[in-house]
Amino acid sequence: MHPALENLCGPGKPLKAEAPDASEIAGLLRTGIARLRDAQNTTLALESRFDLAYNAAHALCLAALRRMGYRSANRYIVFQVLPHTLGLGPEVWRVLDKCHNTRNLGEYEGMLEVDERLVKDLVTATEAVSNAIQK
Amino acid sequence: MPSHLSNPTVSWARVGSNCQKPNSGMIKPNMGIKDHPIESSALANALFPKVRQRVLAVLFGTPDRSYYANEIIALAQSGTGAVQRELADLTAAGLLTVSKQGNQKHYQANAHAPVFAELRSLVVKTMGLADVLRTALAPLAAQMEAAFIYGSVARQQDTAHSDVDVMIVTSSLGYGEVFGTLEGATASLGRKVNPTLYTPADWAKRMQKDNAFVTRVWQQPKIWLIGSEERLHAPSA
Repeated sequence: MHPALENLCGPGKPLKAEAPDASEIAGLLRTGIARLRDAQNTTLALESRFDLAYNAAHALCLAALRRMGYRSANRYIVFQVLPHTLGLGPEVWRVLDKCHNTRNLGEYEGMLEVDERLVKDLVTATEAVSNAIQK
Repeated sequence: MPSHLSNPTVSWARVGSNCQKPNSGMIKPNMGIKDHPIESSALANALFPKVRQRVLAVLFGTPDRSYYANEIIALAQSGTGAVQRELADLTAAGLLTVSKQGNQKHYQANAHAPVFAELRSLVVKTMGLADVLRTALAPLAAQMEAAFIYGSVARQQDTAHSDVDVMIVTSSLGYGEVFGTLEGATASLGRKVNPTLYTPADWAKRMQKDNAFVTRVWQQPKIWLIGSEERLHAPSA
């Protein structure tokens, strides 16, 4: 039991306790790693690479949270708890959090503003997550 | 008093640090005082009248030093009478200490005032917000062409939950580095800082192609942190 995560747990709070499930975690890791690999394919459109990397990051961060016995009600929570799940700092989780907001603007308001830099930094941050979870 | 200092139509937030400052006719000695005015926001406006904000920003923004009245008047860019009244009121309330040095009265934030820590924190979070960010970005300043606050804070329409939107034009920095550097400021402001990074080439291209986001940002009020409007547009001209 992790004290910071435990504090985020309960009615009206973003996390709930749920025992880890090995096959679920394996599935999340598999899709996360595959999408991260494809996100680095520079023949794809920048928007597609962004989607792949963002979804890879989400799968890997969710795997880290599930591994510790929690599930989140909201997508963005998995990024915000990275300091507790994988010991990663703002240079990783704030980048992913920003990409979450960028993704929402694109999905719901049709304003996907991605450029080379954001995709490159998103891939770097997702690689950091991938390395940390496979350590 | 020069008339521009009392002109109420001059928006305080737009008097950025790098704007051409009107000549007040006064030779200002460089005594290590930052020579940019301290921007106010809607939060600060709801709490304190303008002149008091500026006086508090000077004194509680740098509580470790004392100022004589004329310095405060110059830094606060406000009228002599208004500043003197604030100094008298704040001193009477025990928020400032006064010491005589020769025939000058020196004012300093009173660290023993019962609300010193709270007031200092209010100043940093609301009146000195730009100051906090400028300081946080200072280690990376050499790698930036420009950095400015835009959005609700610059428009003075921010609430306690508003993100602080910061535009950074840089050819070498990435989001990871910038977020790492800003984390301390995020914590001390208690507000989320949301940087957007463009390379100078990207910025120029978007300006030229009339990109909706960049154009909107550009037309709205800005609080300059690093660089200036002139410098940002000089290379692309």
